[in-house]
Amino acid sequence: MPTDYALESPGSLMRAVSPFREMGAYEALWSEVKASFKWMADKFREHPGAVPSDFVPDETAAEYAKKTVATLAGAGVAHFGIRVHGAGEYPMKLRVADHPVELLYFQGWWDLVESRGIAVVGTRTPSAQSVARTRRLVRSLVDDKLTVVSGLAKGIDTIAHLTAIEHGGRTIAVIGTPLSVRYPKENSELQEQVAKDFLVISQVPVVRYDRPNPTENRIFFPERNITMSALTEATIIVEAGETSGTLIQARHALKQKKKLFILESNFHNPSLKWPHRFEQMGAIRVRGYEDIQKHLADPPLQD
Amino acid sequence: MPIRLSKIDDLTRPDHTFIEAADECLYLGEYTARKGYQFSDTNNLIFNLKKPMDRRGQPGWNYKRRAVEKAGRQLREALDALNPKWLSIATLVPMPPSKVKSDPMYDDRLMQMLQVLGTGLQLDIREIISQRESTEAAHSTEVRPRVDELCDNYVIEESLVDPAPRVIGVIDDVLTTGSHFKAAQRLLRSRFPAVNIYGIFVARRVPDSGDIINF
Repeated sequence: MPTDYALESPGSLMRAVSPFREMGAYEALWSEVKASFKWMADKFREHPGAVPSDFVPDETAAEYAKKTVATLAGAGVAHFGIRVHGAGEYPMKLRVADHPVELLYFQGWWDLVESRGIAVVGTRTPSAQSVARTRRLVRSLVDDKLTVVSGLAKGIDTIAHLTAIEHGGRTIAVIGTPLSVRYPKENSELQEQVAKDFLVISQVPVVRYDRPNPTENRIFFPERNITMSALTEATIIVEAGETSGTLIQARHALKQKKKLFILESNFHNPSLKWPHRFEQMGAIRVRGYEDIQKHLADPPLQD
Repeated sequence: MPIRLSKIDDLTRPDHTFIEAADECLYLGEYTARKGYQFSDTNNLIFNLKKPMDRRGQPGWNYKRRAVEKAGRQLREALDALNPKWLSIATLVPMPPSKVKSDPMYDDRLMQMLQVLGTGLQLDIREIISQRESTEAAHSTEVRPRVDELCDNYVIEESLVDPAPRVIGVIDDVLTTGSHFKAAQRLLRSRFPAVNIYGIFVARRVPDSGDIINF
């Protein structure tokens, strides 16, 4: 529970946030059976101003912190940082999410998180036309000095990151695995490059992810899309199937009062209902890049 | 809710070569700019705070004053939130500016920041440490001076040592390698061996974030 000021000696500043301890405490909280992003967010809603270490004994936090550092080091992640709600540099724009994360991990250049970012997302198995559209779109975003944000998945995500880099732009990867895991394997090098030259962000607990039941780790992918939307000004969907995880991001983008752009071609696919549904909910149909440009020029929505 | 101060710990200490496990260094934000990126609040704040004195009167100069005020206010809020009694018993010692008072580049931004920090309070602010000679600002030299050399160039202002402090906060804008803090700590410890010394910074700098200022 939040510390009692009266117990503090007047000359002590002991309660300053220790990133190492907070990381360990967050990992320890995630080791509880009932842990989920909702459970975690509820806990902090009940105790405004609390940090993870307020709920975890110091020794337990230290033990988990060491385990986390060891796991990351073992995976070749020597230098990384964390952000914790309540301390400096935590991106307050995350608070628009349903269950905002209290702590996240990153590698690379944190400054980019405050640049104007646009999420470009879509299917893992795009058509040749969608690949070409993604390339053209990303080049335009880069020309407009916007940061291209995606999820490092196969397909559209990969094309989005690569095109941004090739075109001399900036990119951020919000991943659905811990920093210790490179997923998918074929993007291992890309993940490393983004971490070194740009920014990789993960909210996924390192120790919990290592537990023997890998299917439960699937919950982290949709949650990452909610965070990606919260971190960006708008989401653009290039191509997505009716059951695609991309649609989770679409729903939350609108819920978070962000702009949602859907490329016109999706509306012409007779097997898809989602483009029409989201258009009715406020999504913007994109026939040409000017449609995006025009709407992005509006002042960002205030929350 | 005010931002809480963070402390240098096992995760961040490797970024600050001279800082040791027993040192208590607190900071508000992180300076991470690179390739001229200037997106985050902290990077802008530090950039403006450190604007060199020969830019006085040029466009954008007023951002320096604003940065001084913002940093002072944020540190005050963060310290009050951490321990409401601390400022009333602490002695605050600004790191000496890299240029001596007679130098045209002399910049007393830390004293100005402390005045903002102490608005409405009776703070004990003492420039106990001063420099014998001007040095190159740490951010504009390739070779960073070592703790011994820095220490040799620091002097204790004898007129300011009484009464002995109960707890000391050494104030600086950016924690880089930690060499300046260690030199100040060594000097102060030699005079006040039993007093706890904190380093309090507006930001810590993440290595490889490039030159702090390169106009």
